[in-house]
Amino acid sequence: MGTKRWSGGCDRRDFLKVGAGAALSLAVPLPIRSAQAQTGTVAFGVVTQNTGTYAYAGELVVRGATIALEERNFEILGRKIKLVVRDDEGKPAVGARRVSEIIASENVKFFTGNYSSTVGLAEVEVASKEKVLQYAAGGAEDFTGARCSRYTFMWSAHAYTAMRTVLDYVAKELPNAKKFYTITADYAFGHAILKYTRVVAQEKGFQLLGNDNHPLGERQFTQYLTKAIAAKPDILLLLTGGADAETAIRQFHTFGVKATRVVAPWAIEVDEMKELTPEMRNGLILGENYYHEINTPVNKAFVERYLKKHNFPPAYAAASGYDTFRTILIAMERAKSVEVPDVIRTMEGMRWDGLLGETTIDAATHQTLRPYFVVKGKAPEQMKSPTDYAEIVSTGSTPQPKQHNECKGLGPF
Amino acid sequence: MSLNLVCMQLLNGIAVGMLYALMAFGLSIIKGLLNIPNFAHGAFYAVGAFVCFSAYERTGSFWLGLLCGFVVSAIVGMAIEKFGVGKLLASAYLFQLLLLFGVALMLEQVIILVWGTTGNSKSPPEFLQGAVDLGITLYPRYLLFITAASAAIITAVWFLIEKTKFGAYIRAGIDKKEMTQALGIDIDALFTLGFGLGAGLAGLAGGLAVPLVGVTATMGTDMLSIAFVVVVIGGLGSIYGAIPAGLIAGIVQSLVTIWAAELSTVMIYVAMLAVLTWRPQGLLGER
Repeated sequence: MGTKRWSGGCDRRDFLKVGAGAALSLAVPLPIRSAQAQTGTVAFGVVTQNTGTYAYAGELVVRGATIALEERNFEILGRKIKLVVRDDEGKPAVGARRVSEIIASENVKFFTGNYSSTVGLAEVEVASKEKVLQYAAGGAEDFTGARCSRYTFMWSAHAYTAMRTVLDYVAKELPNAKKFYTITADYAFGHAILKYTRVVAQEKGFQLLGNDNHPLGERQFTQYLTKAIAAKPDILLLLTGGADAETAIRQFHTFGVKATRVVAPWAIEVDEMKELTPEMRNGLILGENYYHEINTPVNKAFVERYLKKHNFPPAYAAASGYDTFRTILIAMERAKSVEVPDVIRTMEGMRWDGLLGETTIDAATHQTLRPYFVVKGKAPEQMKSPTDYAEIVSTGSTPQPKQHNECKGLGPF
Repeated sequence: MSLNLVCMQLLNGIAVGMLYALMAFGLSIIKGLLNIPNFAHGAFYAVGAFVCFSAYERTGSFWLGLLCGFVVSAIVGMAIEKFGVGKLLASAYLFQLLLLFGVALMLEQVIILVWGTTGNSKSPPEFLQGAVDLGITLYPRYLLFITAASAAIITAVWFLIEKTKFGAYIRAGIDKKEMTQALGIDIDALFTLGFGLGAGLAGLAGGLAVPLVGVTATMGTDMLSIAFVVVVIGGLGSIYGAIPAGLIAGIVQSLVTIWAAELSTVMIYVAMLAVLTWRPQGLLGER
């Protein structure tokens, strides 16, 4: 009489063997299991938007992250690196779900993601609960403020650093410009940079004539511009970003007002600058977390590699993907470990020559302390190539004053 | 608050309102003629904008761009009516709506395939750049042009509808479809042309908006909701209700900015609720 087969295709003896093996492996002491884990693949995750109208943004993060891993031939400390990419559809709930899924199914321990802060902030709790390292790409101060966590780091400059750098430049370049009018995106990001505009304006003695909030996705700015121009400011500060900022700049351009300069401290990147005409870009003062002309050896090498592969300069999204993964890999090397707590301990207070220049991480908040850049739009006749939109005119790295930070402690490992 | 600022916002509201009116005018022609809410209207606006942008970019002529925007949107509209909407006129309302939703999504994806996901900009022609001094303020020439051009286009369409034989057919088609057909008028061709006219006007509004809002793949969706609000304020079934309604929407949006800028766009919807509370049939609609 033959052995009775089990429905799954293995017989009773195989099942007992597997069962015994599993039981034995559970009985093995933890240090031995950990040593076994050290020999496996290290999984890095990129959870960002890869479908829909803004799919290109997610693809850019992946491009940058991939270059960081390619530089090391997808290996760290003798172990293979696996890149896991998931689509968060630009939605916070989907992002949190995808992060949970790649932790459970792909054993991802390190991830970066969407530069939309609302998506990144939804993933903070997951990272903390699952004890995986999140190097957030978003710019909301809550990452290193009210919702700071032992497991979350923030790559972009703090809003204070950004505003301070841009307004320092304005004070130096346009010494007679004292009166400002602000148009602000009516959500967390806009309010954060408005808050620090007020702080820095007070420090520098600027007069804020007024502020108008606009809803996210606004396509009609002439009513705000009419009001702002009537106040006769020296500077129109656009505290908004992306398509909204572009629309505001386009419509401001139609007013033909020469007495007011447009300054956008955190608004558009190189891949968005091409959406404006050279006349609209000319003289614009923009704050940038990243600009492809940053003069560091790391950035020059990165831009060269990126241009060779993609034929267009990298911007914020690609740079964040690249620099977050590169930084984690440096920390792994220094820690001689790929375990999350070891990497976190090494990153806290770490100092290194990064993509953006000399960079450190604040051990108390996990804020990356790095330079912020001011670029000025070039006149059409000054452009040396089709993507030569602007030049870096100033750099600053003044950190957020401690009294403004709302982080009540990072919590335990 | 100064009187100057109120006047400036009023002027701005009229310019923006005329653009809303032009967009919604086409929508109300289609609604009146075929009795369907054209959910693809935003997509025609976007098609017109992108075609205008490309023609303007290649030829350097904004006027040719506007013409191309109108013609291409009108042709696409007529094709969709002829081979899609027209076939479903006898079917349940739901099928027509689903078809138009599908067309809107399809056109948006075609735009992404042809022009990509990133947006683009064009400045107005040189003589429309900069501002004119109105005494109380500097006012963008292009906004003045939008006001005048929208008014001229609406007047021309009014003339077409009210003073020509074709217009008489359209009015007859709106008021008494069966009687019009009984008199030997090809109602199917009339519907196709009427749909094309409505879609073409959306395309023209898209072309006019290019120097102001640029071109982006999602621009149709952004504009569609405002166009519907304008049609509802104007009165469903009334062709001309869209004109005062567009002006009301633009002026409300602009004036509210003086006191509560963050509420400026939402106030258009509040204005709709207020009008519907006062006159449920809309400004010029009939019960």
